[in-house]
Amino acid sequence: MLSFLLNEAFRDLRRAGRVGVSAILLIALSLAALGGFWLLSLNLGRAVAQWRDRVRIVAYLRDEVPPGQVDDLLGRIEGVGGIQRVRYVSKNEALQVVKRALGRQADVADQLPRNPLPASVEVTPDPAHATPDGNRELVQRLAALPEVDDVQGGAHWVEGLAQFQRLFQLVGLGVGAVLALAAILTVTTATTLVLHLRRDEMEIMRLVGATESVIRLPRVLQGLAQGLFAGTLALAVLEVAFALVAPRLELLLPVTLGLSRAVFLSIPQMLALIGGGATLGAMGGLLATRQAAA
Amino acid sequence: MIRLDGVSRVFGAGPSRVPALTDVTFGVDKGEFVVLTGASGAGKTTLLRLLYRDERPTEGAIEVAGFDLRAMRRRDVPRLRRSIGVVFQDAKLLAGRTVFENVAFVLRVLGTPRREITPRAFAALKAVGLTARAQADPHQLSQGEAQRASLARAIVKSPALLIADEPTGNLDEDMAEEILAIVKDFWTRGTTVLFATHQSKLVTLLKRRTLRLEHGLLVKDEG
Repeated sequence: MLSFLLNEAFRDLRRAGRVGVSAILLIALSLAALGGFWLLSLNLGRAVAQWRDRVRIVAYLRDEVPPGQVDDLLGRIEGVGGIQRVRYVSKNEALQVVKRALGRQADVADQLPRNPLPASVEVTPDPAHATPDGNRELVQRLAALPEVDDVQGGAHWVEGLAQFQRLFQLVGLGVGAVLALAAILTVTTATTLVLHLRRDEMEIMRLVGATESVIRLPRVLQGLAQGLFAGTLALAVLEVAFALVAPRLELLLPVTLGLSRAVFLSIPQMLALIGGGATLGAMGGLLATRQAAA
Repeated sequence: MIRLDGVSRVFGAGPSRVPALTDVTFGVDKGEFVVLTGASGAGKTTLLRLLYRDERPTEGAIEVAGFDLRAMRRRDVPRLRRSIGVVFQDAKLLAGRTVFENVAFVLRVLGTPRREITPRAFAALKAVGLTARAQADPHQLSQGEAQRASLARAIVKSPALLIADEPTGNLDEDMAEEILAIVKDFWTRGTTVLFATHQSKLVTLLKRRTLRLEHGLLVKDEG
């Protein structure tokens, strides 16, 4: 029976002709668009995660702490909670940083009667506090410490990037959903055409006692096959596009997003894309057979 | 095998109401050969369609091959139809498939084991005298041959009941007699036959129990 159903499904695929090919192309287009947005969102997400890890808050101290008391201070600061790492920066180290930044004008700093830069503690928030709200909370707690004069820094701009990534995902889903709906309707049309061409066969099948599932399954399988083919085609298009575009972005990515390179979809993600195509196709086939039965 | 009790079928409603059958009652026992006759539009086809559940009665009870058709759920209709073979005036052979494939199609659709399909299909073709035309396309057949192929398709699944709705309607006398001979042959092997025809010559030739319909009413049951 299975070989009969598959034979009938492939017979239908051939009969669907140009409409069937249109269905495949439309599903491939919607999956390629979805896949494209997914790919971009994936790499943006990597950038967001990476930058979140680099967020720093700097707590400027009222007075420099003697070397023997640095560990105590760092311990009290870690004690406010929400902190992944702390690092003490002495007045002298701060001055050396400024001198390096000044370059050839570094001797200007030597003209100063005294080192005006305060000692500070660089605080790296834990992931839960690497958000604007988390940052705000941590800044308030740090500012309440008696040793701390001022607190600066935060994750606002990283959160801006994260919001952009979420918006991008939503737009991608929206565009993908519209295209997917169009794809389902096209598969439905292709299957309806086949049903029309096969109405004599289906009449005979019903007359001799074939069950509805035997009559419908080849149409669903037809849609599934169209979707599988379309998913594979979409993936191939994405791979070619990625292979062409990614090398050209290698210089820009470190500067703009802080990424060394872009990555492609993982194997499970690729399989999900192809599986999505198969699902769209099968849904189109099922819809057509239900409409015909009604 | 067949039992109808007070069966009526009305199409439409209100002023456009058309009573196709009115209060029809009769029975057909297993192994009988019954002729259903009447002028065109008398209700023969409607009655036959009720028997394989292509129509539902407006009133009355119908039992076929042990199935209560009035209470039958839609999903059980295939089970009923597997025990019934139907032949029409138009042979309804599928284009793009050979005569053999048309007959084998029935067995494939019903999930018959692969090893049984070819021998059973050829046995059915032999019974109707068409083995030499097994690889012909439907458009290459004469009307008589096409109707024989249609018969082979109807009996290949060994139905308990054969319903023939004007199978000789498009054929000349000689071809009609050939078809009749084949149908009678099936009957002698134990198949119950309900043969519909408007041709009075055939009715006389068959000399079987005859049910006569006129304007949807069963006016005669004799023989």
